[in-house]
Amino acid sequence: MTIKTALSRRRFMTAGVGSASLAATGAQAQATLTAGAILERMKTEIGGPWRDGGVDHFTAGGPDTVVRGISSVMMCSLDALKDSLKAGCNMVITHEPTYWSHQDRLDELQDDPLYKVKLDYVTRNNMAVYHMHDHWHALRPVDGIHVGTANVLGWTQCMHKDNPRYYTVPSMTLLEMARHIQSRMKARTMRVIGDPTMPVRELYASYGNFGGLGGAQILDNVDVMVIGEAQDWDLPMFVQDSVAAGRKKAFIVIGHVLSEQWGMEYAAQWLRGLIREIPCKYVPIIEPYWNPSRPVMEINPKI
Amino acid sequence: MAGQLIDLILTRLGTPGRPRSNDRFIAGDPLTPVTGIATVAMATFDALKAAAAAKANLILTADATFWGDNDAVTGLEGNETFKAKRDFIRANNLVIYRIADHLADSAPNPIRAGMARELGWQETAQGGEAARFRLPPTNLLQLSQLLQTRLGARTLRVIGDPTLPVSNVAAIWGRAAQMPAIRTLRSDIDLLLVGYTFEWEAVLYAQDQIAIGMKKGLILLGQVPSLQGGMKYFSEWLAGQVTEVPVRHIPLVETWWNLDRPVNEIKTTI
Repeated sequence: MTIKTALSRRRFMTAGVGSASLAATGAQAQATLTAGAILERMKTEIGGPWRDGGVDHFTAGGPDTVVRGISSVMMCSLDALKDSLKAGCNMVITHEPTYWSHQDRLDELQDDPLYKVKLDYVTRNNMAVYHMHDHWHALRPVDGIHVGTANVLGWTQCMHKDNPRYYTVPSMTLLEMARHIQSRMKARTMRVIGDPTMPVRELYASYGNFGGLGGAQILDNVDVMVIGEAQDWDLPMFVQDSVAAGRKKAFIVIGHVLSEQWGMEYAAQWLRGLIREIPCKYVPIIEPYWNPSRPVMEINPKI
Repeated sequence: MAGQLIDLILTRLGTPGRPRSNDRFIAGDPLTPVTGIATVAMATFDALKAAAAAKANLILTADATFWGDNDAVTGLEGNETFKAKRDFIRANNLVIYRIADHLADSAPNPIRAGMARELGWQETAQGGEAARFRLPPTNLLQLSQLLQTRLGARTLRVIGDPTLPVSNVAAIWGRAAQMPAIRTLRSDIDLLLVGYTFEWEAVLYAQDQIAIGMKKGLILLGQVPSLQGGMKYFSEWLAGQVTEVPVRHIPLVETWWNLDRPVNEIKTTI
């Protein structure tokens, strides 16, 4: 059974659960659907145990917040909050933090003026924000982020069955692959290491951040690693030195937001299978960067 | 010998070193006779090839040799890239010393002095966790073009309104941790320059500042372009301290390319 059919079947089953609960609770539920109730449905559908101790938690509002619409976003920027409200959604499911650190640490931010504005914005608008990082990666049978990114790149069929981070793609050059990713994701500032003319076929994908040197051994198995974000002095430098050692290796950094947000597009689709009473919408956010050849201002400066 | 030269350099820098530091001999034997000294922002394989070709076998680097904060090689013993680099270091009698913290602690800090000189800028005050400059008024796009050209930062990335007026600029050369990057962003500046900072931390913070109407910009220059003016400056200072052997700086070309100019700049022969 391919991964694709496994997913379709799963979607069918979750849709079934959603309809049943809607029929049971009736239209009255609409007025009282809380963030806590939504979270309980997500917990039963994630395909594995819901674990404490990670970074997943409410960063604004809480289980009692009454929800009239749900948005899924890659990162909980102020723009993501504004766009969610505009779309009629006061519950935001975000993959990345709200308060500028992975754990949404607040110890050094209590007097931060921006923190106060952001907190005031979510409170005033009666919003609930749930940081769903760990569990979306834990979605079974396949990490929710990888499902979405494979969809947008058209590589779902190329995903290895035993490990969805490995792909065998139709043969192309590194430059062609970079262009493919750029055009599918509308990426402005992607960065690449390697010979643009080298053929690439075996690929390892790690969307989001890739810290440390775990990738050193992985590189043995592939032509190219496609990564969301990495610090210049660890894995990118290792790939650079591999090229300098005469090995045919390459590295593509897409950017953290752009590498993962398709996974949150898939999250909205997944949520629609569980929550039928209210709208569930994907709210795309901007690529944070531009470079001097493509200067743009996409941030909305009005609060 | 390499060890004696390092002792001399650290004495002249006048910094005691930190109790917990990544500065140390990363590779090679301190007893190796030195034929020449090279300074470099990052001890990449290409940097080592250039140093060896220039007959410089003592290499002082601001950033990693073995791809990480502490140059740990555990688990890499059988790795092809590691073996090639280690064998090259041995074959060419290279000695590599990481000198980031000592430079950061010395006054003036050669990285800061050198980066300011590279850009023709004057720091408004010494010390503090970020360098601060007051520039003749320009805007974010113009300044990013200038930085791209002057620092060879061909894949730099910018956050903010391209038309943002820019005059008060702060810089954290090299890596910028969440703090002090956020602290610096919320101080009275228009623009923060960093080598690297995480997208979900200071990048998101700058975006959110702009999203509430604040006039802010942030530029990620890339690690090497944000340091190497400093290592060039350091090599010149060093040449005045060490007269027995030649001292030179090894400039590095930005490794990354983007679709504006897809060119591999890495030398692929050893």
